[in-house]
Amino acid sequence: MQSFDITNPPFDRLTHLEAEELRTRLDIGYFSPKEVIVGHGRSSDWLHVVIKGAVEARDGSTIQTVLGPMDSFDSRAVVHGAAGEDYVAAEETLCHLIPRHVILDLIHRNPAFAAFFYSDVSRKLDAFAYQRKAEGVESVLRARVRDARYRTAVIIDGGITVEQAGHCMKDNDINSLLVRDGERIGVVTGMNLSKAVVLRRLPLDTPVREACHFDVVSVDLDDFVFEALLLMTKHDKRRLAIRSNSQYVGFLEDIDILGLFAGNSQLIPGRIERARGIDDLAGAARDIQAQVERLHRQGLKIKIIAEMTSDLNRRLLTQLFGMTAPPSIREAGCLLLMGSEGRGEQTVRTDQDNAILLARDVPPADLAQFREAFSGALDRFGFPPCPGDVMVRNPIWSQSLDGFIRQLKAWVLRGDAEAAMNIAIFVDAVSVAGPADSLIRAKEALFALMRGEAILLARFASLVETFATPSLGVLNTIMSSVGAGADGIDIKKAGTFPIVHGVRTLAIEKGILATPTAARIEALVEAGSLEPAFGRDLTSALHAFMEFRSQSQLRALHTRTMQTECLVRLDEITTVERDILRDALRIVRQFREIIRNRYNLGAF
Amino acid sequence: MKRWVRNLFYRATLGDRDYRFLFAPGPPDEVVVLDCETTGLNPRTDEVIAVAAIVIRGNHIMTSKAYRAVIRSDRDPTSESIKIHRLRAHDVAQGRPMHEVLPELLRFIGGRPIVGYYVDFDVRMLDKYILRYIEAKLPNPRIEVSEIYFALKYGDAPPGTVLDLRFQSILADLSIPSLAQHDAFNDALMTGMMYVQLMDMRKRGSRISRGRAVRQDAPIGA
Repeated sequence: MQSFDITNPPFDRLTHLEAEELRTRLDIGYFSPKEVIVGHGRSSDWLHVVIKGAVEARDGSTIQTVLGPMDSFDSRAVVHGAAGEDYVAAEETLCHLIPRHVILDLIHRNPAFAAFFYSDVSRKLDAFAYQRKAEGVESVLRARVRDARYRTAVIIDGGITVEQAGHCMKDNDINSLLVRDGERIGVVTGMNLSKAVVLRRLPLDTPVREACHFDVVSVDLDDFVFEALLLMTKHDKRRLAIRSNSQYVGFLEDIDILGLFAGNSQLIPGRIERARGIDDLAGAARDIQAQVERLHRQGLKIKIIAEMTSDLNRRLLTQLFGMTAPPSIREAGCLLLMGSEGRGEQTVRTDQDNAILLARDVPPADLAQFREAFSGALDRFGFPPCPGDVMVRNPIWSQSLDGFIRQLKAWVLRGDAEAAMNIAIFVDAVSVAGPADSLIRAKEALFALMRGEAILLARFASLVETFATPSLGVLNTIMSSVGAGADGIDIKKAGTFPIVHGVRTLAIEKGILATPTAARIEALVEAGSLEPAFGRDLTSALHAFMEFRSQSQLRALHTRTMQTECLVRLDEITTVERDILRDALRIVRQFREIIRNRYNLGAF
Repeated sequence: MKRWVRNLFYRATLGDRDYRFLFAPGPPDEVVVLDCETTGLNPRTDEVIAVAAIVIRGNHIMTSKAYRAVIRSDRDPTSESIKIHRLRAHDVAQGRPMHEVLPELLRFIGGRPIVGYYVDFDVRMLDKYILRYIEAKLPNPRIEVSEIYFALKYGDAPPGTVLDLRFQSILADLSIPSLAQHDAFNDALMTGMMYVQLMDMRKRGSRISRGRAVRQDAPIGA
């Protein structure tokens, strides 16, 4: 049947032959409004792909999702033998029917296709990250030499000594120099110098022209990277000179091309450490951001991107702390990163959430100067100020340890939403510089305050009810049927926040010191508070949301519409992504239910 | 009554006794939707060039077991028909002769009622050949989708209402995606989709509004 669309994921992963075979096995089913197509917990002999009409996925009396044309259901009923929901026709509906044995057969033959039918979200996610990977290589080869992080050219005179040339390399942190010898221009590398001295036993005061070679191979700044790659292969060079307007402007090394593929994460820590002033750090901060984008484009798993980014951001702040803090504060202060940065779950930078705990009194002038210098530098790096003013600049977040513990006590007693939010931010703190035991003492004080305080914990937990988890697709269908365009869903409110906060509440109750949500979930599973299988689901749902979030954040950065940074537009994602989103939202609903029952939130 | 007598006559005079199954009722709850592509609209002079038939069991359109055939004229095509159907001449040449196709098609249809859009035309086209081979005409009951549509939409219409029974209008009213037309299989399939939905609406007593038809574009292959 030619009318079946094989470009619709996951069917786009079938080979031509498999797709043709699938087409010959299709039937079509008609379903009357209100007819139950697949019942909850039932198996199904067919995978349904909607041709026209609408199908509601119902959980009891609530509609979780409305499926429309090209959506398929229910992979669980076909492959695992039990549907997750009731699937009920909402109007006159026609579906392609793919027999179960055909699906099972294709699953065995085609692993990429099979990924869609994994029961567990994280495996599906892997498959869908893999799908994006293809863009990476191509985009690199289409990049220009100027897009690579190449090294600037330094020109020396051919008359200076080998020893001076070596020092010149070290001072500029480069490994090759251009050598002017009369009319000629040559190149000398660190390896050339070593060979001259070690192998040829030339004295250190030999003129450098003796050690260099003059067959310079060069590319233009505007050449494609693949042209550079070809030149390197052809001339067996690992390094090319870069020309621009008949001037040498730099060197392109094979590692720089590698950097375009894999990112230059290995270079950034060096840049941070070598930074001599705030300006150098600002450059490194920009690099970190560009890095996130590149890694994301190349389809790296979000978990790894977040880990790398947090690590780099922490190094950056540690270095900044060293630069801006007077000795008194450097000695007494414990610098904290909090919120998503503290959990290590931030990729695209959002707010500055930071604080400092002082183990002993410091001169007020030092403190005042540090507050401004530190927060001001972060402003300059492009970290937006925290709307809740959770930053070193705010005296509440930069005070003595004892004062801060009193503050925590006050928040616990107040127990309103703002206080709860502050506690939540603090619970996620990690220390990045200075004596870490200040932080541990403050956290233990907080845990002691909350321990056994059921009402306090419940009030804290009740924040998960701040935003309702939307039923994906209900609005979508209504809106598109009146032609108003599809709507989006706020990933942060609907997905990330309920998971992060619910897990955080459980972690406080159990006195778990770890801050990353995934690590907390692991600890909670170990403590028997969560089922292992559900813990895995929860972690993969969180990663799914992070993935969606950073996609929309990157897009928002590009279009300069930061108000939409958490929004995923349902009409802009593929059916597979919609399916993953649906799975992840179902896990959030389950988790909310667990939190609600545990803390008896019905009473609020 | 007239048809009953006629069928009785053909059953008695059936040239080939092997085809008596046509006169026995088919499996209950099953119909066959049929579509012929022809060289023109005159059953006396025009020829069938393609035929497709799909069994519908209940609400299940059995596309995986559809019957489809392209037919090559037993006679040499006249220069005139080549002129009109130049584009199709090649396809038709790929086809099989009607005397091969017809027994398969008749066995496929069996005693089931035949569903179609202007089904009488398709049946008349086929009868021309059937009469020649087995000395009978198709005895099967016929179900006309435009008739069901008419009843649901215009059954209670005041006199003078402009009727619109075009294929495209029915598709639009039922929001069934439009497939590439003038392909026997696609036409039969769209007719089948209309049939299952119209039958269900008739059973539920729901009507089609005569308000301006809202066209919901949901192309099946998009």
